[in-house]
Amino acid sequence: MSQETMPLVEDTVTKHDEPAWMTDKRRVAMDQMPTLKMPRVQRFDYRNWQMMPSTEIHWQSSSASLAQSDLDATTAKADDKQISIVQVGQTTTQVKLLPAELTKQGVLVMDLFDAMREYPETVKQHLMTNVIKTNETKLTSYHMAMLTSGIFIYVPRGVVVNQPIEAHIIQDSTKADHPLISHVLIVAEAGSEFAFTQHLSTVGEAANIANCFVEIDAAEDSRVRFSSLDAFGPKTVTYFERRGLAANHANIDWAVGLLNDGNTIGNIDTNLLGEGAETDSKMIAITDGTVRMGINNGVTNRGKHSVGNILQRGVLLGRSQLVFNGIGDIIHGASGAKAEQENRLLMMSNEARGNANPILLIDENDVLAGHAASVGQVDQQQLYYLMSRGIDRQQAQRLVIRGFLGVVLSAIPAKTVRQELITTIERKLTDEN
Amino acid sequence: MSTLEVKDLHVEVQDGESGAVKEILKGVNLSMSTGEIHAIMGPNGTGKSTLSETIMGQSAYHVTQGDILLDGNSILDMPVDERARRGLFLAMQYPAEIPGVTNAEFLRAAINSRRPKDDQISVMSFLKELDKNLDLLDMNEAMTERYLNEGFSGGEKKRNEILQLLMIKPAFALLDEIDSGLDIDALQVVAKGVNSMRGDNFGALIITHYQRLLNYIKPDVVHVMMGGRIVKTGGADLALKLEDEGYAGLRDEFGLDVDLVDEN
Repeated sequence: MSQETMPLVEDTVTKHDEPAWMTDKRRVAMDQMPTLKMPRVQRFDYRNWQMMPSTEIHWQSSSASLAQSDLDATTAKADDKQISIVQVGQTTTQVKLLPAELTKQGVLVMDLFDAMREYPETVKQHLMTNVIKTNETKLTSYHMAMLTSGIFIYVPRGVVVNQPIEAHIIQDSTKADHPLISHVLIVAEAGSEFAFTQHLSTVGEAANIANCFVEIDAAEDSRVRFSSLDAFGPKTVTYFERRGLAANHANIDWAVGLLNDGNTIGNIDTNLLGEGAETDSKMIAITDGTVRMGINNGVTNRGKHSVGNILQRGVLLGRSQLVFNGIGDIIHGASGAKAEQENRLLMMSNEARGNANPILLIDENDVLAGHAASVGQVDQQQLYYLMSRGIDRQQAQRLVIRGFLGVVLSAIPAKTVRQELITTIERKLTDEN
Repeated sequence: MSTLEVKDLHVEVQDGESGAVKEILKGVNLSMSTGEIHAIMGPNGTGKSTLSETIMGQSAYHVTQGDILLDGNSILDMPVDERARRGLFLAMQYPAEIPGVTNAEFLRAAINSRRPKDDQISVMSFLKELDKNLDLLDMNEAMTERYLNEGFSGGEKKRNEILQLLMIKPAFALLDEIDSGLDIDALQVVAKGVNSMRGDNFGALIITHYQRLLNYIKPDVVHVMMGGRIVKTGGADLALKLEDEGYAGLRDEFGLDVDLVDEN
C-alpha cells in the first residue's frame, strides 16, 4: 500500500506547502493501516459501510457562498462578541478575529494547516500523539493519512476566554469524491478556561463520508467546555472520534446533540489521567427514517479521585436504529474514583430498534460506580393527561419528548446551542408526523 | 347553555393482567346542563371513575352500548383532545407527572389549544389571569415554574387540577375524588376554587365517596350509583340521608339487587 500511495504523499507536500514532518506522519499512518482493525461499536454492525472510499488525497477548494444558508439558519451572526471560524470543505472561508487582548495573550483560533506552518512545534507535539493515536484502528490511521481540513485552538497558560469560540464545519457535498476529513485540535494550557462549540452540516446532495476528529489536551487545572451540534445530511456516512485527555484537576465537559440525517458511528471518550480530573459527558441523539447510529460514550478513570459522569438520551422514530454504549473503565490505582452513567432511549415507533448498554470495567476496589439504562415507549398516561386539557396528540408527544430530553437539554451551558438544538429537534419531530 | 347527556351507557374494561373483559357500567342515564352542580356518590368499585374517564375518552374503557352527547351531538368518536376543546374537563384522581414541561408552559399550551393560531393569548393577559387564580387557591407562584406535577404532594396535585380548571374555564368539569387525601384546609381551598366557577356557563359533576365535600360545594342534584347504574337521584338532602344510613341501608330500602364490595 505504501508503495502505491507514496507519490501522492509527496504530491501533497509540493501542492499544499505542507511541512515535511506532517508528510512523515501521514506516511507512518499509511504504513500502519493494513495491520489495524476497524473500530468496534458493541452490538452494532456496520461492516457494509464504506468508510474509506479513497486512499488518494484530492485538494479542492470550496466557495464561501456555500456557507451562507448554514450561517443564516444559526445564530452565528447574532453575537458580535463571539469568536468564530467557518470552514467549507477544505477551505477556511472566514475567521472572525479575536479581540486584541486575547491575541496579545497568545490565544489562537485558526486553520490547522496554517497552524502547521506558523506554529509547527505546538501542532507537531499535539496532533495525534497524546490523545488519539494513529495506530489505534484502521480509521484513526486513515484519518491521519488523509487529513485535509482542520481547526487549531490554543489557549495559553492561565488565560480565560469569556466569549464562546464557535466553529462552523460545513461539508461540501456539491461534488462526489469529496470526503470531509477534518480535525479539531484543542490545546488548553494549565489553568486556562474556555468554551468551544462546533456546528456540523452538509451542503449539496452527493454521497460522501465525514471522518471528523476532535482532540482536547487539557493541562492541569484547565477547564474546557465542548459543545457540538451534529447535523450532517442524509447521504453522509459519519465516523467521529471525540477524545479528551485531562491532567490533574482538569475538567472537560461534552454536550453533544447528535442529529445527523445519515448513518453514523462515533466514539466519545475522556481519559481522566490526572488526580481529581473530571468530565461530564452529555448527549442527545435523535434518529429517524432508516438511519442507523452506533455510539460509544466512555470515560476512563486513571487518576485518583477522578470523576466521570455520562448522561445520554435518545429518541427513535421511523425504522431507525440507535445503540448507546456507555463505557466506564476504572483502571487499577484510581482509588476514590467516581463513575456514573445513565443511558435512556425513547421508542416512538414499533419499527425502530434501540439498545442502551452500560459497560463497566472496574479494576479498583475503592470506587463509586453506578449505572442506569432503559428503553421505553411514550407513557400513555402522560399523553392522555396532556390531551385531556385540549392539547393535540402531536404537540402532546412533543412535550413528552422534550420532557424526556429535558435533563440533558437544561444542562447544556450555551443558551444558543440549547435553542438551536430545541429548534432542530422540533423540526425533526414535525417532519415525522 | 350547554348540555351533557349520558344515555343507557354500557362500558367494558379489560383487566390488564388476566385479560378478562368485565362490564363496569350497565346502563347509566344522566342529564345535566351548565348552571348546575351534580354529585355522584356511591360505594367503592361501583363505576364512578369509569363514568368520568369514559366521558373524557380514556381509551381503556370501551363503550358497548348507549351514547354520550354534548349539546346534542355524540362525542363517542371524538379523541380526548377534541372533547376537551369542546368544553369537557376532568380533574383527575391521579394526575400524570411530566418532567421537563413547566406548569406555566403547559397551561399556556392548553389555553392556546382552544384559540386560533393567529390569536394566541398574550403573555400579559396570561400572567394576570394566572396570578389571580394562584391567589384564589392560595398557591405559591413558584409552583408555576415547577415541572408539571413532578414531585408535587397529593394536596398540591389536587390544587393544581383546580388551577387548570380555573385557567381553562370548561363548560363541564368532572371532578373525580377531588377530596381524597385532602386535609380540611385544603378541602376548603379546593371548594372555593370550584365555587368561584359557579354560574350560567359552568356545570360540574362531582364524584365522591363522602358527603363532607358537599358541605362546601352545594350540589343541585345528587345521584347515587351502585352496581354500574344510577339507582337514585334527588336533591342535596339525599347526600345527608346516605351519610346517616350508608349505602347498604339505601340498597335495602329500595330492594336493590347489588353486591357491595366492602360489605361484611
